[in-house]
Amino acid sequence: MSQIEHHQTGVTYWRSLEQAEQAPEVRSLIEQEFPSYDPSGMLNGKSSRRKLLKVMGASMALAGLTLTGCRRWPKEKLAPYTTSTENHVPGEREYYATALELGGVAQGLLVTSFGGRPIKVEGNPSHPMAWSVKGKQGSSDAFAQASLLNMYDPERSREVVDRTGAEPKESDWTKFTAIAGDIFGKVKGTGGRIAVLSEATSSPSAMDMKKRFLAAFPQAKWHEYEALSRDNELEGSRMAFGKSLRTRLNLEKAKVVISLDEDVLFSHPARTRYAADWAEMRRKGDKGEMNRVYIAESTFSVTGTVADVRLPVNPARLENIARAIALQVEVANVSGGEDLDKNNGEDRFVHSAVADLLKSKGASVVIVGQSASPVVHALAHAINAKIGAIGTTVTLIEDPAGDRPTHLAAITELTKAINEKKVDALLILGGNPVYDAPADLDFGKALASVPASIHLSHYNDETSRACKWHLPRAHYLEAWGDAKAWDGSVGLCQPLIEPLFGGKTPIEVLALVSGDAVAAGAVMAGAVMGGEQIVRRTWKEQYIKGGDFEKEYRKTMEAGVLENSASPAVTAANTATSYPATPAPAAGFFVRFTLDSHAYDGRFANNAWLQETHDPITKLVWDNAAILSKKDADTLGVKQGDIIRIDGNGRGLEIAAFVQPGQPVGVVTLPLGYGRTEAGSIGNKLGFNTYHLRTTAGMYSISGAKVSKTSNPNYTLATTMEHHILDDFAMKNALDKRIGAKGETGMIVRESTLEQYNKDPRAPHKKQHGGGHSLQLFNHPSKFNTPNAWGMTVDLNTCIGCNACVVACQAENNVPVVGKEQVLYHREMGWLRIDRYFKADTATYEKAGDDPNPQVVHQPMMCVHCENAPCEQVCPVAATMHDTEGLNTMIYNRCIGTRYCSNNCPYKVRRFNYFDWQSKAPTTGWPDPYVNFPDKQQLDQIDKIKAMVFNPDVSVRMRGVMEKCTYCTQRLAAAKITHRNEAFKEGKPQGGGELLTDGSVITACQQACPTQAITFGNLNDPNAQVVRLQKNPRAYDVLGELNTMPRTKFLAKLRNPAEGASAPARGHASSPAPSTMSPSPSSSNGSTVPTPSVG
Amino acid sequence: MSDAAPTTKKRFLFPRWTNYALPAIAVGLMGGMFYMPTLFGLGASPKTTAVGYAPEQPVPYSHAVHVGKLGLDCRYCHTTVEKSAFAALPPTQTCMNCHTGIRPDSPALQPIRDSWKSAMPVQWVKVHDLPDYAFFNHSAHVNRGVGCVSCHGRIDQMDIVAQTQPLSMGWCLDCHRAPETALRPLDKITDLGWTPVGHPYANGETDKEKAQLLVGEKLKADYGTREPQYMTSCFTCHR
Repeated sequence: MSQIEHHQTGVTYWRSLEQAEQAPEVRSLIEQEFPSYDPSGMLNGKSSRRKLLKVMGASMALAGLTLTGCRRWPKEKLAPYTTSTENHVPGEREYYATALELGGVAQGLLVTSFGGRPIKVEGNPSHPMAWSVKGKQGSSDAFAQASLLNMYDPERSREVVDRTGAEPKESDWTKFTAIAGDIFGKVKGTGGRIAVLSEATSSPSAMDMKKRFLAAFPQAKWHEYEALSRDNELEGSRMAFGKSLRTRLNLEKAKVVISLDEDVLFSHPARTRYAADWAEMRRKGDKGEMNRVYIAESTFSVTGTVADVRLPVNPARLENIARAIALQVEVANVSGGEDLDKNNGEDRFVHSAVADLLKSKGASVVIVGQSASPVVHALAHAINAKIGAIGTTVTLIEDPAGDRPTHLAAITELTKAINEKKVDALLILGGNPVYDAPADLDFGKALASVPASIHLSHYNDETSRACKWHLPRAHYLEAWGDAKAWDGSVGLCQPLIEPLFGGKTPIEVLALVSGDAVAAGAVMAGAVMGGEQIVRRTWKEQYIKGGDFEKEYRKTMEAGVLENSASPAVTAANTATSYPATPAPAAGFFVRFTLDSHAYDGRFANNAWLQETHDPITKLVWDNAAILSKKDADTLGVKQGDIIRIDGNGRGLEIAAFVQPGQPVGVVTLPLGYGRTEAGSIGNKLGFNTYHLRTTAGMYSISGAKVSKTSNPNYTLATTMEHHILDDFAMKNALDKRIGAKGETGMIVRESTLEQYNKDPRAPHKKQHGGGHSLQLFNHPSKFNTPNAWGMTVDLNTCIGCNACVVACQAENNVPVVGKEQVLYHREMGWLRIDRYFKADTATYEKAGDDPNPQVVHQPMMCVHCENAPCEQVCPVAATMHDTEGLNTMIYNRCIGTRYCSNNCPYKVRRFNYFDWQSKAPTTGWPDPYVNFPDKQQLDQIDKIKAMVFNPDVSVRMRGVMEKCTYCTQRLAAAKITHRNEAFKEGKPQGGGELLTDGSVITACQQACPTQAITFGNLNDPNAQVVRLQKNPRAYDVLGELNTMPRTKFLAKLRNPAEGASAPARGHASSPAPSTMSPSPSSSNGSTVPTPSVG
Repeated sequence: MSDAAPTTKKRFLFPRWTNYALPAIAVGLMGGMFYMPTLFGLGASPKTTAVGYAPEQPVPYSHAVHVGKLGLDCRYCHTTVEKSAFAALPPTQTCMNCHTGIRPDSPALQPIRDSWKSAMPVQWVKVHDLPDYAFFNHSAHVNRGVGCVSCHGRIDQMDIVAQTQPLSMGWCLDCHRAPETALRPLDKITDLGWTPVGHPYANGETDKEKAQLLVGEKLKADYGTREPQYMTSCFTCHR
């Protein structure tokens, strides 16, 4: 390939390997708006287009006859309260602080309630682990945002189920309480053994109830199990300090972060806080300095996508790297670490990482992931001590549950006890061990042999079905409780609604079975009162000892967190005298298990919002898959969607393959949480159950696995990475112009290195002039700035692609889900998507036959509200118009669904309702025929419980209309109306300040964002942050040359590559250095090193 | 030669069925003359726009008695109208404040007493019902000088509440385009019988409509009422 040819085809930014290879299919994706559209396929082959037309015709005639179109809408009833409630204004929103506990760590939340039902979850601005702007704005993650939908899941379990007989039968709490008294009383009387298996919890009340339960049943044994556990971290700290200490990072002080397989921004329990702190250091790029993140990782993680230096490695190499770093910073008693792999760049990684560590002593930190062995954790503790991180970037605190055995040991011990017939009664509080316990334990089989087993759970799931009794569990939004965040801050949880399905919490169940004098009666008497009694008692005893209890308790309840309750820092001497080497792994593939971005560990499987949220990296929806490197895939002859067989630890699994650039060679990543059988109609039979391969011998990775291709038919994976591509194939070289020819910058994504940016602030915009044209053919009708001019900025430098904004938008704007089948037709409805671009010279890897180690840019994309909007010009019915404040408004009731607008939108942000999605379930199959005539009113069809989640301030769209981002116009309206109401109340209608205070309107995406990558505000306000940011030299208009004059500006990404990292490229030893690769070493965009990626 | 040669051009003849076309068109036009007025007439009729809609309520509550005769202010019951988008209906408690003493045994009040005892709400029928895609905010109107009467009519004279205005988009826009036709002093919002005649801004004008325009124009300036372009933007009401 000649130099010139390469210039024309060597794509700098690409979304998928197919696009990088310029496959013709991708070209068709760009040319057609809905490429997979096939009207007859739509009918599942059961019917034909002809039949559809017949049905439609007949139905329309029928509709005309019955005059369904000419009727008054249904009579609506108004039901006022019977007694007035203090401080409650019907129709106004109320906010309650609570917390979501995931894996034993709480996230502080502030939940919006409307008319007595929770409708939106946000981060708690008063919570030290959740605020992004202290006291003003709290951030959250996608799981917290989506947890709301679980609450309104009509498939949640509704009654106590008794499976003691041949047939399961419905029961109730009274019967259960009586029988539980019998069971536990009898066991106690006969000296039988009781076991409790609980999911991880940090709740002081739960700890208190545990103590009381163990006091009531001295022979009982307590076990704790969590599938995604931080066991190794615990072990590592025991190895280093002789006791369990928790590491609380202070990333806002860390100039250099070295991560060994730790996805600190996405998978860590303190992810929202850490992401916010990381972003604070990142934003300093505008002041000339920025943190530098190194990561050596065994699978592509979110942190890896924003790292400045990324090294994809085999999990087995991590220990070696840790040893090498330890050796070079002169940690005592370290051996090994000399044999760094020069071929894949380990030596250079370690070399420049150590140089940076030493240069910024006291402002650097080494962090280790949950999958790394305890030795690596212990080494990191030693390194951190050596580089002065303790007390600055790292605070060591007591682990609240530090005395527990590891989760693996606990579940192993319990299973052993059951198998030895040593358990007469087993109480399982939450969790789903039959599904997620290590496969070799065969917990399900063991469980069946327990004479009395009880499972408290949100769903009638796999474990419930194997137990004698199932108890419905209250959702966290229905429950009283308390929980501790990662830093030890303790907070209260309060219910926003009475349990919809009569569920109870673990603490209430413990009170019931142990016959707790204070609480048991209350638990049975009132639906939620029992829990409160328990929490109050605990807090009186432990937290609010003196003073006015009621006042302090209520104050804490309002704030959601006890003031200054974070665990104090402890000092601990590193007592490790040796770091025993882990035996060398067996030859073969490594299998690496990870958290899944949709299902977490499987518990969110029935959550349709999460299922349809694209994975940050693979962009997969509704599925998991085995993630393979390109090189391995080529060697095995596997293409995306081929079923491969993985054999390891004596077990086998067949799973679809997904080819991922940047995946280390020889590693297969298996996200957990799929292949559920009893999750519910959404989560059942999706993806592949990777727990099947996960055994006690390898909870996080398996070595020596065998991977082979099977002859099974190809599995269809739905990934949105090639959907809504902004590139252009229409003109020659147009592609180069849009995405940037080699070494230049494009119209879509812009970036620069910090060094170059410091020299020249225009560096990210090389050869591109600013957006907008000064000469216009027509006069602009308006400046769209009265009385406000709304605008937004999206900072590509701090966006980590975590999807919090995506789910927040879905929840705020009643965005429907469409199901996997429809996603394959490019019909996903999300208003806000995150485009993930890989950046690597494709020619390099084509030539070398090597795996690129691409850099990544996450670009959130939603309507940019063009002042010169192409969509508005083509709407035949003026259903999309500009308002006076610059919003590109979309009027559903006027839209006739021609889809011209979306065809004309260069940003591909408009979404069309092909069907009445809200009234259908996305996976249970669609009613046949597809379209129901005559139409019924929506409310007749949408499940009453599902409808409770809707935001009442946003229309629920019907079939046949276009929709898109509105800049959260409902929030704008609410803020403006409140603002004017207050001005009138103060008697100064006109002088009431035309400008809203900056920050009084926060869009849903902005609010959720942990890194504050999204800023929204009034461009008329000279003091607004958004105005400052739009003047930032990094700001640019995406596709600005089209003269669309968007109101949303993007801020170019900055990278902070290590010095000397742009040294001449080097491929794997086996592959010759590509000849076409000749960027100047200083060119930021020309860095084409396969591994490690830098710059 | 040309005379002898048969002409190759045939005259175009309309097919025979076209003989019926003219009468058919005529019949169609005649039909249209009935059809179009019927269509538009029905479309604009009060039955379609629901003017006069007065559903039967579970309790025959008379606004004429409570507001007209007894002089209760609207906000005595509809307390949230100045704070919220909703003008909430009063809780049963509000009824019982008086009706434990006054007419405590009236059979018409049975549903109220039942509700009070059982703590289950009285299910009133909504009269002024906007489509779900129109987002009306009470507080945004009553705080800005639009009186109750503008949309709800003389409630103080109604025994059974009926809809008096079409509540159609065109009707809303009439006011959003010309707010001076509806603005009134802020202390007269709930005064259903208020007249602009005699207001200092009316300059002694005695014609009610003219006086309203005079008063409205001045109040518009006082209130800093938004420009029609702003108030007729789609997102003002549709979200």
